[in-house]
This record gives sequence, structure tokens and C-alpha cells, in this order.
Amino acid sequence: MIATSAAPVRGPTRPSPLWTRAFHGFNLLLLLLMASSGLEIYNANPVFGGREGATVPELFTLGGWLAGGRDWHFGVMGLYAANLGVWIGLLIRQRHQRLAAMGDLGTLRVSSSTPKRRLAAHRVVYTLMLIVLGFSLITGMAMYKPAQLWWLVGLFSFAEAAGHDSWQVLRVCHLATIPLIALLLGAHVVLSWRVGGLRLWRSMFV
Amino acid sequence: MATPADPLSRRRSLGLLLGGAPSLLLGGCALNAHSEAVGAATQPLNERIEALLQGKGKLPEFRPRQVDPAALLINSFNGIPEISPGSYRLAVTGLVSRPLNLDLAALAALPQHQCVIRHVCVEGWSAIVAWSGPRLADVVALAGFSPLAGYVFIESADQYYESWDLASALHPQTLLATHMNGAPLPAANGAPVRLATPIKLGYKLSKWVTGLKLMASLGDRRGYWEDQGYEWFAGL
Repeated sequence: MIATSAAPVRGPTRPSPLWTRAFHGFNLLLLLLMASSGLEIYNANPVFGGREGATVPELFTLGGWLAGGRDWHFGVMGLYAANLGVWIGLLIRQRHQRLAAMGDLGTLRVSSSTPKRRLAAHRVVYTLMLIVLGFSLITGMAMYKPAQLWWLVGLFSFAEAAGHDSWQVLRVCHLATIPLIALLLGAHVVLSWRVGGLRLWRSMFV
Repeated sequence: MATPADPLSRRRSLGLLLGGAPSLLLGGCALNAHSEAVGAATQPLNERIEALLQGKGKLPEFRPRQVDPAALLINSFNGIPEISPGSYRLAVTGLVSRPLNLDLAALAALPQHQCVIRHVCVEGWSAIVAWSGPRLADVVALAGFSPLAGYVFIESADQYYESWDLASALHPQTLLATHMNGAPLPAANGAPVRLATPIKLGYKLSKWVTGLKLMASLGDRRGYWEDQGYEWFAGL
């Protein structure tokens, strides 16, 4: 399915399974909506600096104002969670083929074959992306319903001894998923290009 | 790897990237106009789930030493009204058998409760506050509300208005707070009487409350911010 050698592979493109392409494309679209509306919400009271803090340029935000940003963020969250949850569930069932495992870390440590190392690195990167997205769901849930899900908020009270309220820890953790995903996305794009080139991209999007 | 035999591939993909970015941005601006439609389509379901998630029992509270007075910011849409404690009255009207006009002594005569809870603002900040005063449930019970009542409309001295579902209003931690952090409520925080609860966002927690009206259904005026696009249930 994925070209593991650096040599170009001839012949017609074999598309990835429909469910992979659907979950992947839908996740990308929903993630853009969630991130941009989330930054709109951020601007109402920046996590760093509060009311005097620096805001995100309007170019990267969605909603126009706080209520509009919340309309999108909480309007899309259900679809985003369902898409991500079902996708991760399906991937775990097929872990031996798709998600990174200990073997990939071993390959990265000992293999001298560049294509093999690239493939392993790519599997590690996209698996990390799914973990970060799952983390964005957990931190988001805790901030959406902090009173009802008080036990979930409690998991983030580890820095209270150092004077950091669990709410601020949650806000930082939830926001941190955006730069983390942006970094991993960069690595994902570069590595998928190196691993499978345009053929791989077409197999995911066409 | 790029296929060297296909020189268009790299150029084409570059073109795709360059062409795609501005259209995303343009799309983002156009999407702003649809925010309300997205909210209107999804809020009814979200609000149903929020109401289901919300229990009738007490939620865990914070320890008094976790109170952080500096974290509580002041929000007001229309300044700070000055209310003299002597002339203050709380009107309880609508679907009640005994319409009431309570002064502060009558509120102080009701059982007093304290809640140390997290006050969460829609803007994103929060503060742990100790509120005390009578339960909203005790005040409306005093007026004897009709079984037809499903909502409470809350009027404030600064013309702010809100409406709540009755279940949230009757929650044991929903207070008509007259004290904050052990001292009488400051004017900027809603003196002499304001709403306090752990189960609603800050914009539901009216300050300078002067009227409670029990209603069978929601009217056109659902809340100052709700009427401009904020979610009505706003549960936490």
C-alpha cells in the first residue's frame, strides 16, 4: 500500500481504503474549524496575559466574535469527537498495519536503511498526532463542563502546589495542542512526501 | 519520493498549496456570516445533553483557602447601579400563589448557605469564590410557585435580564448571594443581591437582582447576551 522504497513506483495509483480517506479528510476539515474557532475564543481572554495579553490575528480566527467562535467550536465538536473516536477505534483494531508500535521505535534506533527509518518516523508522527488530538478532546471536555466533570478537571490539579490553578493548567494544555499539531503536521507533510511522494498524497485525497 | 519522470507533479502540488491557502482564508471570512446558523442548528441538541448531564444533587466544592479574590474580574454591560440597602426590594411574581416583595431582612431570615465554587466566565477566565446567602429555591418556595412554572425570568437594577430553566434555579447550590468571601457583597459584584451557582456560566449570574418572575414558557427576551447570540442554557 505505502511505497517503502525510494524508487518511484509505476502504474496506476491505488487509493487508500475509502474509510481511511473519509476519516482523514473529514478530520482535516473539522480540525481547521475547531482550531480557528478556538483561537477566536482565545482572543476573548488570552491564556497568556489575560485582558492585556496579545491576541491572535483575525486572519486565523473563525466566528467574527466570541459568540460566533463558540457557535462553531461547540457546533462542530460533536462531529469532531465522533469522527476522531471512531477512526482511532478502527485504527486500533488494525494496529499491526497502521499505527506506530514499539517496532517503529526499534527501527528508528537501529536501522541503517533510510527508507525504513523514514517510514517508521512517519508512522510515529501520525500516531502522535492522533494522541494529541485525543488530548485536545479530553482537555476541551474538562473546560466545557468543569462542574459536572469535576473529576476530569481534578486530573489537572497537579501544579496547584506550585500556585497554578487547575483551570489555568487546562487552558494551557488545551491551547498547546494547536502548536503541537502544527509542528507534527509539518513533519507529517514532509515525511509523507518523502515516503510516498505525490502518489501517496493522491491515494489519501483523491 | 517525487517522481522525476513527472515534472508537473511538484509544480502542480506547489500550485495547489499556493492556491489553496488564500481560498481557505477567504472561506474563513465568508464562514463568519454562518456562525449563527451553525449555533442555531447545534445548540438545541447540546442544550439537551447539558440538561441531562446536570444532576439535581450538590457538586463538590473547593476549600476556602483556594479562594482567589484577585482572579475575579468585573464585567458589567451598563455600569454599576447604586442601590440603598434600606429601599431595596426583591419582587417575586408570575406563576406564584403569593407574590412577594422581600427586603434584605426577609432574605437574611431565610436559611443561609455558603458555596465555595468556581465562577467561570464565557471569556475563558475563572475564579474560585465563596458566595453566601439564601437558596433561590427557598425564596421561590416562599412564594408558592405553580407546577406550570418552567422558567424563571430575572430582572436587575441595571436593566440586565436573564432567564433560567427551573431545575437549574432550584439547584441546592444556586444562591441569591448577599455575601462574597465572608464579607458583604461589594457594589461592583452585584450588591445587595446577585445570583451565584457552580452550574452556569458567569453571564447567567445576574448582579443587582430586583425581580424573579416564574413563567410557563420562555419569552422573546431570553437574556441580554443570549439575545445577541450567546447560548441560553450555558451549563457547566
